Amino acid sequence: MPQFDPSTFAPQVFWLVVTFIVLYVLMAKVALPKIGAVLDERQRKIDDNLDKAAQIKAEAETALAAYEKALAEARAHAVAVVRETTDRLGQEGERRSRELADRLAEQIKAGEARIAAAKETALAGVRDVAADIAGAVVGRLIGGTPDRARLEAAIGAALEEQGQ
Amino acid sequence: MANPIEQFQIKPIVDLQVAGVNVSFTNSAVMMVVTVVLITAFLTVSVRSRALVPGRWQSMAEVFYEFIANMLRDNVGSEGRKYFPFVFSLFMFVLFGNLLGLLPGAFTFTSQIVVTFVMAAVVFVGVTVIGFVRHGLHFLRFFFPHGAPLATAVILVPIELISYLSRPISLSVRLFANMTAGHIILTILGGFVVSLGAFYLVPGVIPFAFLSAVALLEFGIALLQAYVFTALTCIYLHDAIHMH
Amino acid sequence: MAERDNPPSLEELDARLRAARERERAGRGREERVASAGLGLAMRLAVEFVVGIAVGVAIGWGLDRWLGTRPWLMVLFLLLGGAAGVMNAYRAARGLDDTVGIGAAQRRRTRSEKDN
Repeated sequence: MPQFDPSTFAPQVFWLVVTFIVLYVLMAKVALPKIGAVLDERQRKIDDNLDKAAQIKAEAETALAAYEKALAEARAHAVAVVRETTDRLGQEGERRSRELADRLAEQIKAGEARIAAAKETALAGVRDVAADIAGAVVGRLIGGTPDRARLEAAIGAALEEQGQ
Repeated sequence: MANPIEQFQIKPIVDLQVAGVNVSFTNSAVMMVVTVVLITAFLTVSVRSRALVPGRWQSMAEVFYEFIANMLRDNVGSEGRKYFPFVFSLFMFVLFGNLLGLLPGAFTFTSQIVVTFVMAAVVFVGVTVIGFVRHGLHFLRFFFPHGAPLATAVILVPIELISYLSRPISLSVRLFANMTAGHIILTILGGFVVSLGAFYLVPGVIPFAFLSAVALLEFGIALLQAYVFTALTCIYLHDAIHMH
Repeated sequence: MAERDNPPSLEELDARLRAARERERAGRGREERVASAGLGLAMRLAVEFVVGIAVGVAIGWGLDRWLGTRPWLMVLFLLLGGAAGVMNAYRAARGLDDTVGIGAAQRRRTRSEKDN
């Protein structure tokens, strides 16, 4: 194998050392600092952006919380207004219906009194008429004028008999 | 059919002698220079735009950077930071050497045992020196298992020492053997495809499919061996820095 | 409450934000070490064994030359190298090949098992 020929060793080792040292210097002084700088910068940007995102998220959360609080307040307010209005309307209606009922009851009472009075007069009229008619009928049948008081008593008895 | 061994032949391009030592610029050196140029171009051009959202090339460069940085951090910890350029250079050098060698006609310097051995030896000696500098003679405690009877030290210490010294050799032999074997197989298969395909189109298809599969496998092995080489470097570094 | 255009809910946004943070922080986990398998492992074991013997023989040969005890130290170190080669292969097979001493390798193993 040509690899084991010792006469090839010296030139290869020499150039290996030369090229490797050149490579080392180039890497250490030029290439690696450049790449390292790019990577550091990116890392910083990424960290920055993540921090910013976290901050914006926190802001969004506070905004959401404020919004929800306002919403809840508005809803509570609306409920209160509705309840108050309902109450007020309910009381008003009750009062009105009570007034109406009272007035109606009064009218009914007045009407009943009037009816009772009319009934009273009518009944009294009926007795008079019945007594007149009965006096006339009795006069015609038996002649003479019957005793007014007895007639009325008889009529009263008759009316009583009929449940009047 | 091309001789599968021929591709490993070192061919001088410019003959050079420095102080009586042959330092000729060879086909192997050409690939090393190409590797260094390509790595540097790739890593500097790709991040030139410094884009926040990287393009394809830039993200590849970043992937390599982070891959090695994480490997070093996971294995060595924060003290490994100062070895990052070395470990990164080593990884890129081996990786590009392996990958460029897969191109048809290209020379693979990682298939040269002397190249892989020198790299492994540099890592190994460097790590040993770091270990002794940081821990002094305590570093030698590595060679004696905790709790073993003291009398067994006569046997155990030489065995551990031999085992330790064989590390760079086995590490370099692994890379060398993988690359060499892969390229021999690829060349032989390529020869089959050419010789069969020239006469019968249909029989040539089967070796070609096989060749493609093996080429894919070799691509994976190129990545894996670069990874192994670098990962073991990180682990040796860890042991030299943190003694337990 | 009527939703305009279905904006993402805050919980969802929160989850996404947390996930993004998590990704940034966790980023890279510890690489799982892949145990090599099959032919590759067999080749590795052979290499580890042979290299152990070779290093042993080389040390013995060198010491023999230095001390003029040829060939005894080479024989001794051939045996030690064989032992080291077997140990290397054993470590490679068990995945304990990543530290300097075998004691340290076993401690690392137990520690990483405890971690997981």
